[in-house]
Amino acid sequence: MASIARCLRVARPAAFSAVVRNSAARTIGARAFSVTATNAIRKYTKEHEWIDLSADKKTGVLGISEYAAKQLGDIVYVELPEEGKEVQAGDAIGAVESVKSAADINAPVSCKITQINLVLEEKPGTINQVAEDDSHGGGWIAKVQVTEEGLKDFDKMMDVAAYEEFTAEEAEH
Amino acid sequence: MALPSRLRALTRQLPLSPPNPHLTPRATSPSLTRPQTRHYTQHLTRPLQIYRSASTDPYLNLSIEHHLLQRSHPDSTILFLYTNRPSVVIGRNQNPWLEVNLHALHAGLPPQQPNAAAEEEGSRENKNVLPIALVRRRSGGGTVFHDQGNTNYSVICPPAVFDRDRHAEMVVRALGGRAGLGVKGVRVNERHDIVMDVGDGKTFKVSGSAYKLTRTRSLHHGTCLLQSENLGRVSGLLRSPAEGFIKARGVESVRSPIRNVGVGGEEFVDAVVAEFRRMYGEGAGSAMVVGEEEALANEEVVKGVRELASPDWIFGQTPQFTFSTHPTEDDPRERPEVKHTLPYGFQTHFTFRHGEIQSATVAGLEYHDFVDEASQDTVLSNALVKQRLHYVKDWRRTLKQASPVPVDVDDAGEFLNHMFGIQPPTPRGGGAVAEAVVQTISDTIVGEFLNGDIDL
Repeated sequence: MASIARCLRVARPAAFSAVVRNSAARTIGARAFSVTATNAIRKYTKEHEWIDLSADKKTGVLGISEYAAKQLGDIVYVELPEEGKEVQAGDAIGAVESVKSAADINAPVSCKITQINLVLEEKPGTINQVAEDDSHGGGWIAKVQVTEEGLKDFDKMMDVAAYEEFTAEEAEH
Repeated sequence: MALPSRLRALTRQLPLSPPNPHLTPRATSPSLTRPQTRHYTQHLTRPLQIYRSASTDPYLNLSIEHHLLQRSHPDSTILFLYTNRPSVVIGRNQNPWLEVNLHALHAGLPPQQPNAAAEEEGSRENKNVLPIALVRRRSGGGTVFHDQGNTNYSVICPPAVFDRDRHAEMVVRALGGRAGLGVKGVRVNERHDIVMDVGDGKTFKVSGSAYKLTRTRSLHHGTCLLQSENLGRVSGLLRSPAEGFIKARGVESVRSPIRNVGVGGEEFVDAVVAEFRRMYGEGAGSAMVVGEEEALANEEVVKGVRELASPDWIFGQTPQFTFSTHPTEDDPRERPEVKHTLPYGFQTHFTFRHGEIQSATVAGLEYHDFVDEASQDTVLSNALVKQRLHYVKDWRRTLKQASPVPVDVDDAGEFLNHMFGIQPPTPRGGGAVAEAVVQTISDTIVGEFLNGDIDL
């Protein structure tokens, strides 16, 4: 996702508190059925992608942040990544279109795409509703296998608190 | 890189803007006086850059622009101006079968000023018809028409300062501001387009915006209708006969009444350049002209042209869509009346992905032999799966080949040809839409340069 500060000159969005609230709600809902997800760690890039790294650090789920989704406006089409593709951190793996803008989705870490969220083909607006939901029906974009290199990329990413600070600053500029 | 001599001859420097008295002489780019020795790509690290393309090829211009987007310094701000030959330009996630009347596209534009000499010789024929290019751009948004009466502006800047209206406002100031061209009533509307209020509550669109955002850069480009002589034809070009039958994912265009601003191309370029300098500083210098030959000497630009000109991009990038002759659960609209005579009970339903038939149901064809018609329909339908719509040359032939037994396909085939923009082959041309579009490219200088390497 590109940095999209001031795309729409919206007042500083309350996106972040929404992020935290939603992921908490999602966590409670999802955890009941999921054992492996318990220790998943979420991190963010400056370009507004997120990834949940599984406890065994082998797989992940990625998407674009709620902050980004809000800035982009109504998402009308999602070009999903190609399954099976191996990519480096920062590579464009897909794109979303909103308000006449085609915005690249970039791989937050080096990884291999193992599954894509086909729900978004039919309902691209899901990203506007639940951008950071990695469960069925959520706005996640792809499931991936994280490579050795990818783990190093992950270490450099921002945790929730750092990303909150980052987006707050970006919104003020 | 060796280039065909015709290309060399056609590469020329456009007339440059008259010197601006407010500028210090230093601001004039030295490259303008020595275009042979300085390549535009040498300027990609400068903080401010202004380029003007000497080419009117839409694929080349969009590829120069894409190259600037990808290769310029991430902190730089760039203005790029270009004018295309007649083209219909669809957005990245649009459907050419839905957005464009491919028949009208392939018919081309009549000559604007009848060539007196040609008329005397009595050789008027199709010679003077101007072909129209079909282009899918990399940015989002809807379909627009370009011709030489339209000038495009493009601003590439760091994402941190990106704003959807910022550079549309720049163009509005260039057109209507105190230091601008004195055009009255222009403003940016809520769709980020530039419109012109002409009184009586009437508003016309004069410029459309589209954006491409990458990890490190943002691009805003827009058209500006200045003196197009083809405005009356645009609506027909952008109205598909299949509109009432296709339901598409992706992006549909929003129709707006359009008009010309009524200023000349060079005047507009000068005014936009001046306004850009006012915004970002005189250090931007004057516009550097990018020649066709110079651009085609860059491998990445050529790679971009090949991508943009390939049927896989123009047609194959189309988001999933359905075509059905009758209301369906997914698309319950009443269908328009059909002019074609069709077999009683004829129905089709297709699902296309990347322009390829994913599922097909054709029913109601009349078979010659005494057969179980329903099961023949199924066999025929299944045989159509995997056909790529843009490579179908003639639906009569395609249907006939899909049927194991003799079948009447003329009426149904003609109907589908009409729906999907196919001119059935005649000694004078016609055939698959991909071929027709590639033909409009290969007839050009850029096409000659590509040397027929576009695979069909």
